Amino acid sequence: MSNIRDANLHSDEEDDDDFGEEEEDPRPEKRQKRAPSDDEDDEEDDEEDAPKSSGRGKSRNKSNGANEDDEIEDLEDEDDDEDEDDDDDDDDEGPRRRRGQRRAHNPFLDTMAEVDEDDEVDDEDDEEMEADFIAPGDDDDALRHRAGDDRLHRQLDRQNQADFAEDLEKVAAEMRDRHGGRRGHRLGDASTVTPKRLLLPSVNDPSIWGVKCKPGKEKEAVFTIMKKVQDMKGTRNALNIISVLERGQSMQGFIYVEARRQADVLNALTNIPNVYARSGMILVPVDEMPDLLRVQKKAEIMPGTFVRFKRGKYQGDLAQVVDVEQSGQILNIRAVPRIDYGARDDGTDPTGKRKRAVGAVRPPQRLFSEAEARKYHERDLTSTRRGIFTFQGETYEGGYLVKDVRVTALQLENVNPKLEEVTKFASTGDGNESLDLQALSQSLKASTDKYAPYQPGDMVEVYSGEQAGMVGKVTRVRADIVSMNVQEGPLKGKDIDVPFKGLRKRFKEGDHVKVMGGSRYRDEVGMVVKIVDDRVTFLSDLSMGEITVFSRDLREASDSGGMGTAAGKYDLWDLIQLNATTVACIIKIDRESLKVLDQEGATRTILPSQVAAKIPPRRKDAVATDRNGSDIRVEDTVKEIAGGENRSGVIHHLYRGFAFIHSKELQGETGGIFVARTNNLATMIAKGGRVASSGPDLSKMPEMSKKPGGNMAPPIIPRQGGRDRIIGQTVHVRQGPYKGLLGIVKDATDTTARIELHSKNKTITIEKMKLGFKEGATGRILSYAEFVQPKKGFGDRSGSSTSYGSGNSSAGGSSWSGGRTPAGSSAWAGSRTPAGAHGGGGGGARTPAWAGGAGDGGRTPAWASGSKTPAYGANDGSRTSDPYRDGSRTSNPYRDGSRTSDPYRGDNDGSRTSYGQPVGASGGRTPAWNPGNRTPHYGSGEPGPRDSGTAWDSGSKTPARSLSSVNDQWNDSYGNNSSTTARTPAGYNATSPEFSGGYTAATPGASGLSAPTPGGLSAPTPPVSAPTPRANAWDAPTPGGPTTAATPGASGGDNRRYYDAPTPQAGGYSSAKTPGAWGNDDEDDAPGYN
Amino acid sequence: MSSANPDYKWRPVPTNHFRYLRACMVCAVVLTLDEFTRKGCPNCHPVLDYTTGSDLAQMCTSPIYEGCISIDKPTESWIAKWLRLDKYVPGVYATKVVGDLPEDAMDYLNAENIEYIPRDGSENNLE
Repeated sequence: MSNIRDANLHSDEEDDDDFGEEEEDPRPEKRQKRAPSDDEDDEEDDEEDAPKSSGRGKSRNKSNGANEDDEIEDLEDEDDDEDEDDDDDDDDEGPRRRRGQRRAHNPFLDTMAEVDEDDEVDDEDDEEMEADFIAPGDDDDALRHRAGDDRLHRQLDRQNQADFAEDLEKVAAEMRDRHGGRRGHRLGDASTVTPKRLLLPSVNDPSIWGVKCKPGKEKEAVFTIMKKVQDMKGTRNALNIISVLERGQSMQGFIYVEARRQADVLNALTNIPNVYARSGMILVPVDEMPDLLRVQKKAEIMPGTFVRFKRGKYQGDLAQVVDVEQSGQILNIRAVPRIDYGARDDGTDPTGKRKRAVGAVRPPQRLFSEAEARKYHERDLTSTRRGIFTFQGETYEGGYLVKDVRVTALQLENVNPKLEEVTKFASTGDGNESLDLQALSQSLKASTDKYAPYQPGDMVEVYSGEQAGMVGKVTRVRADIVSMNVQEGPLKGKDIDVPFKGLRKRFKEGDHVKVMGGSRYRDEVGMVVKIVDDRVTFLSDLSMGEITVFSRDLREASDSGGMGTAAGKYDLWDLIQLNATTVACIIKIDRESLKVLDQEGATRTILPSQVAAKIPPRRKDAVATDRNGSDIRVEDTVKEIAGGENRSGVIHHLYRGFAFIHSKELQGETGGIFVARTNNLATMIAKGGRVASSGPDLSKMPEMSKKPGGNMAPPIIPRQGGRDRIIGQTVHVRQGPYKGLLGIVKDATDTTARIELHSKNKTITIEKMKLGFKEGATGRILSYAEFVQPKKGFGDRSGSSTSYGSGNSSAGGSSWSGGRTPAGSSAWAGSRTPAGAHGGGGGGARTPAWAGGAGDGGRTPAWASGSKTPAYGANDGSRTSDPYRDGSRTSNPYRDGSRTSDPYRGDNDGSRTSYGQPVGASGGRTPAWNPGNRTPHYGSGEPGPRDSGTAWDSGSKTPARSLSSVNDQWNDSYGNNSSTTARTPAGYNATSPEFSGGYTAATPGASGLSAPTPGGLSAPTPPVSAPTPRANAWDAPTPGGPTTAATPGASGGDNRRYYDAPTPQAGGYSSAKTPGAWGNDDEDDAPGYN
Repeated sequence: MSSANPDYKWRPVPTNHFRYLRACMVCAVVLTLDEFTRKGCPNCHPVLDYTTGSDLAQMCTSPIYEGCISIDKPTESWIAKWLRLDKYVPGVYATKVVGDLPEDAMDYLNAENIEYIPRDGSENNLE
């Protein structure tokens, strides 16, 4: 309290002095000043023994003191008369002091010299400083005890400060004199500006305590405390605090109180809201006090720098400073407008603003459009000059919004403009790129914290500060301090710490560099061609264009190829996803980039980082459909047949409707890869003997397609999917020059197989039909057809057959047999047949089958009559049969035809074969069957079982065929095979022999059957075989089947129909045994045929 | 030392007037604009007269400042000394004032041979 009063008194006095007696000022004042300082000294002396602040602080203070003296002397030299007076005063005192000093210090002058080595201070000064404070006789102590030494230093400090204060006062006094008569303001005078380092805190200065405070309430607290101090002033409880500090953002949650005693702080802070003095306070160490007050100058706002809107419609938008107004408080900026031209139709309504604020959508950024503005709000649009418009209260210049904005509404730091944003400002008025890298760099500099621009190993260069010019290698990065090992110059080998600021990466021309984050050119790689300051221009490896970026965004690209991301992650011809709708095939891999061919056929070069995903190789059975409706799969050889250049090649990838095809002929830029739509392709060679491609060439069968109600779909040849079953089988050759030799099937097409012979080291190509397959279990030799035909079903059939026989017989019925036959056919081979051969036929076939099945007695009729009638009629008619038969004949031809067709239908063979097969399979049955009727025929026809089967089948088929087959095939088939032969069963057989056995057999069978069969034949056998299958397959399908079947006629006519109808049947069918595969295949083929 | 203007008495500022607070770019004292224009800056007054009704007050004070220090005993305070506020009146000061003093204000100061100490933090760089 007393202090305060004193202070007030002093000030009053002083002011009075200022007014009146200028001349006398200095001295009285000095005297006043001296007194307190002496007092202080005394106090200090009392405290001497206590341990004091660190040595560092001391020495610093001391040196300060020394410098201070120097400077002040300098100042004094410049000063006028008054000054000299002062000097005189000093001089007056000086000698006295010095004298005493010398006396006192002689013994340890050396010591002092050592301590002060670095400070170039005159001994005299030192002595002077120490002068008054060392009592004679203390010397020994001082020498002996460190404490004593300390004391000396402190005294020195104090002395310095006292002197300094004195000098300041002196200077102030001068000033006062100079501006005599004025009210004394204490603005900094040129002569009084003391360097900061002379002001560093000492132990004499009050302490500063940090106190917790509610964050955000710091300012309020400061004001409240100030108010309290003022309120209490003059009372008994006056507060003894000196100042209260708040640092806002940088020290949130704290206020700092400057006071001499902690108790004063507590006292002052009691009952101050939002300040938590009781939760403890922290004494700020003396050497940290300057940091507390450190003020960082913010990046200067210059025209061209980028800022961001903090709020409002443009919140977050980037803006560029055009001009700085009002001493930096208002910025004239330009930004890309967000105008909703159509928004407000009525003129100005005060609520409009509020509405807009609430409004959900803010208009996109778009340059101002005069046209649109005129269109919607012509009234609001005025044009002052060319290119400058005022629209709804805002000014637009060159398309940009130009506006004066208060600095507080803008975000000036960490703006971190993105390049895409910046580029919106780049193409201004004059049209060419005026991207101001300088401005950009300024905006970016502050925001280095986003990522660590420096990494150990980087070569860096210091370009500002004391260590400018140092070049070194980064060894460590901590916060924003880089430790670097100097590589050049006198400090070579030393480690120094440098802040980010003032550091830049160093590159040499010719360096291979890669762009790191923070730039639009991220991941670009290239060779440095030019370096200007911290801007590096390099020639991109990708675009071969020059790119200029900041060196901070660059890194040296590793030259080891292994590091390249491109090489590691992707392989040539990988399929990659570029975006949701685009895929591409890699056609070239560079060290840092990929060249790809996208699905549209465009090649582009991309960075690995632009690859959204790698598409794993599809399962090999990914299927697409070619122009002919055939499946095409990866690794098939295809040819472009439409829209293309007749290129052909092997499919590498199928993706949706696109195939990436590798052509050996087509080299060049794409590395032989081209893209085609799958529906422009035709299969040339299917991988792995899969039946390739082409269904019947529809163009060659005009009749068929023309026939309206027509019947038949082109025979559909069941096909098996996937890998040819025979591959890998051990086979023996049954015909031809290699007859009798064993071998392993290495590969197969639809008609031929490549056999690696056991005996001769040779691989031969041979027709499949000439092969014999050894059945694992029995050791029996099976023909190809038998082999391919699934076996299980057969077993069943055979089993059941007998019983059927009986059943049939009971069922009796000529109708029956008729039905049977077809049934039979349908069931097995027939099943195929019908299905395969013709929809209608299939239907028909089934029907009969059905009839048969059901029919053991009654159904047939019902059925037949019901739906099929016609067909059936025929069938039944099988009895009736002539026509039918004919049909059957037909059918034969058909078969034949189908055989015949083999050539073009790849599948057919299979399917045909299948025909045969089923039969063959039934071969098991066959016996049973054969016994019945056919056998004989067959016998003649061909090798036992199969043939018979076939025959039978054929028989069965025949009918079926006849139904539908009549239709189309004929033409063809006729041409090919003598359907006539069909009639002549025997003859046929004879003829056919060469044909696959099954074949011939069938025919005869058919023919023979139909005619002869009727009675006994069909009756017995069919029942047998038929039932079983039916039972299995049919029953299920039947329901559906029949109905559909009913359509047979129709379906027969129309391929599609056929499909429809049969499909179910087929399905059922397949389930029956006839292997699902078949059924499926049929379906598959169907489309092809269509 | 003493205050420049003995008549000056610091007045509390209600919280809701904080937003009118501005800092003098020359001496960093924080007052409401109203106070500046009515009474002038307690430290700079005669040199820079804010009371004339010109926009000098606007130009030489800034609403953008950082850090508030209420200084009760400027002469004793190390903080005041450090910030060179030790010869100013007790009151609330800012550690940093953002803004550039207009040219004419500079001229006034120069005419009085007063060196202007920028309060915007740039001084640190001189160290």
